[in-house]
Amino acid sequence: MNSGSINVIVTSGRTLGQGRAMEKGKITSDYEDAVAICELDETAMKSLGIENGETIVVKSGIDKIAVKAKLNKNLHPGIAFIPCGPYFNYLLESYTQHTGMPGFKSLAVSIDAAPGAKIPSVEELAQMMKEGTK
Amino acid sequence: MTEANETFKDVPCTFCGCLCDDIIIEVEEGKIVKNTNGCPISKERFVGRMENRRLQPTVSGNTVTLEKAVERAVEIIASSKRLLIYGLSSTENDAQREAYRLAELTGSVVDNTTSVCHGPTILGAQESGEATASLAETRHRSDLVIYWGANPAAAHPRHIPHYIRQPGEYIKDPKEDRKIWLVDIRATTTSRMVDRFIRIEPGTDLEVLQTLRALIRGHKLDVSEVGGISIPELEEVATAMKTAKYGVLFFGLGLTQSRGRHRNIDAAIRLIQDLNAYTKWGLMPMRGHYNVSGANKTSTWVTGYPYAIDFARGYPRFQPGEYTAVDMLARGEADALLNIAADPVAHFPRSAVAHLAKIPVINIDPKINMTSQLAEVNIPAAIAGIECDGAATRMDGLPLYLRKVIEPPQGVIPDRDILRMMIKSLEKVMK
Repeated sequence: MNSGSINVIVTSGRTLGQGRAMEKGKITSDYEDAVAICELDETAMKSLGIENGETIVVKSGIDKIAVKAKLNKNLHPGIAFIPCGPYFNYLLESYTQHTGMPGFKSLAVSIDAAPGAKIPSVEELAQMMKEGTK
Repeated sequence: MTEANETFKDVPCTFCGCLCDDIIIEVEEGKIVKNTNGCPISKERFVGRMENRRLQPTVSGNTVTLEKAVERAVEIIASSKRLLIYGLSSTENDAQREAYRLAELTGSVVDNTTSVCHGPTILGAQESGEATASLAETRHRSDLVIYWGANPAAAHPRHIPHYIRQPGEYIKDPKEDRKIWLVDIRATTTSRMVDRFIRIEPGTDLEVLQTLRALIRGHKLDVSEVGGISIPELEEVATAMKTAKYGVLFFGLGLTQSRGRHRNIDAAIRLIQDLNAYTKWGLMPMRGHYNVSGANKTSTWVTGYPYAIDFARGYPRFQPGEYTAVDMLARGEADALLNIAADPVAHFPRSAVAHLAKIPVINIDPKINMTSQLAEVNIPAAIAGIECDGAATRMDGLPLYLRKVIEPPQGVIPDRDILRMMIKSLEKVMK
C-alpha cells in the first residue's frame, strides 16, 4: 500500500554492471539500465507500495529525476543507493567544502512511487542538462 | 607487434588501479576476440573496444579532418582567458605530460580526476605523511587486510582474488593465515566475500577511526557505542589490529567522499602510524582509473603538485577548492574546457555540468561519451594500453609499461600526439 513519500539518505558508488556498461559505452541502453536505478531496502519498497522494477521519482534539494526501483535485500533501512553516474549527479549540488570533492556519498532525498513516469535516456539527460530544463 | 592472429601474454589491463598484468589477449583478423584472466570489466574494455566508438573528429556535429578539428581547438584555446584542462586519468603518462606543457604554454588550469576521487587522500597525506605498502608485500606478508569504504568486488574485481586471496611467501594458506575484513555503511558484494563485515553508521568514519586510535593507545571511553558499533566490539577490533603481524588498510571513496573528506584520511593515516608503534601496518588508496595514480605522479614531477594547478601567473600554483574542476565550473570561472580521457558530464554535479553547456568544450576520447554530447570539438583517440603503448602507475605506485596489441582505427592517433599537434599550432599562435 502506498503511504506517500519516504525520506532516505542516498549514497552513490560503483557496481559491476555500471563498470561493464561504462567500458562498452555510455550512449548505450546497457549504461542506462546500469545507472538509472535506485536500490531500496524491503521496508522502503513496502512503504512506497511498489514492486521491483517500478519507476520512482527521487527528489533532492535541487531537482528530481525518475529512475527504476531495484530491491536490495541487504540494504539497511534509511539508506538507498544509486550507481555513480549522471542520474545521481543530476540531484547533486556542486558544493565541495573547498576541497574539490562534492558530497557523492550522502544525499538527503525524498522518494515517491511514480508508475508510468518516463525515465530519460542518457542522451535526453545530457540534453536536459544542456538546456537547463527541469 | 600488431600482426593478425596473434596472442599477447602478460598484457596489463587498463581499467582500474590494479593494472593486472597477467592478461592474455587473442587477436584474430584485426579484432580482439578473447581476453583470458581479465575481470568482466576488463573483458568488456578489450573485446568491446570498438563499441560506441568515435571514428572521425567533429566540429559542431559535422565530421571534419583531424587537422580541421585541431585548428578549431587551437582557436578556442587561444581565445580563452581561463582554460580548464581536465581528465587525464584514463590515459598514459606521456599524454599527461603533454597536457601540463599545454597548460604552462597557455597559462591555464590543469586538474585530473583525482579531485573527485582520492583528492582528499592526497590532502590527508600532505598533512600526516604516508605509511604505505606494495601489493606484492601485502600478498606475501599480510595476515590482516581491512577494506574501509571500498567495494572492490564492483570497482576492482580482481583485487581480492588476484592479490589478497593468494598465497605468499609467509602466508601459505590465504584463507586460514590471512583474514579479510570490511568496514562500510552498507552490505555489498564485497561484504559477502570477506571474513568479517563491520557496518558503521553513515558519516561516522572519522569518529570510528579516532575511537580506534584512542583504544589502541589504551584510553577508556565513557560512551557505549560509536558509529553504531559497541565499545567492546571496537576494543576487540583495536586489539586484533594491534596484534596482527602485518596489516594493510585499503580504503575507498567511502572515506574520501563522505563527511570529513581529507580529515577522514588524516585520521586513517594517524591510526596506521599509531599501530606502527606496536606492529607493522600500511595503508593504500583503492585508486579507480588505471592511471590516476600516474596522473598525480607525472603532475608532481612536472609541476611540483599532484592536481588542481593554475599556470595563470606563468608558474604553477596548487589550491584544491579553487583550481579543482568542479569548483572552477560551479563558479562559472572556466571559459573553455579541454577534456582528455574523462567524462565530466557523466560524473560532475548538476551546476558544474550546467556551466559546461555554456562554454566551448574540446573533448578527446576514444568513445562517444556524455561530454561528447555537449562538446563543440570531438576528437577520437587511440586507447592506451590496447592501441598504443605508454606507461601507467599501479595503485601502489609501481610503474608498468602498457602494450599495444592492435592497431587503432584508421586515422585515429594517441592522446599524446593530438596534444602535440595542438601545442605545435599554439606555439605559433601565441608568439
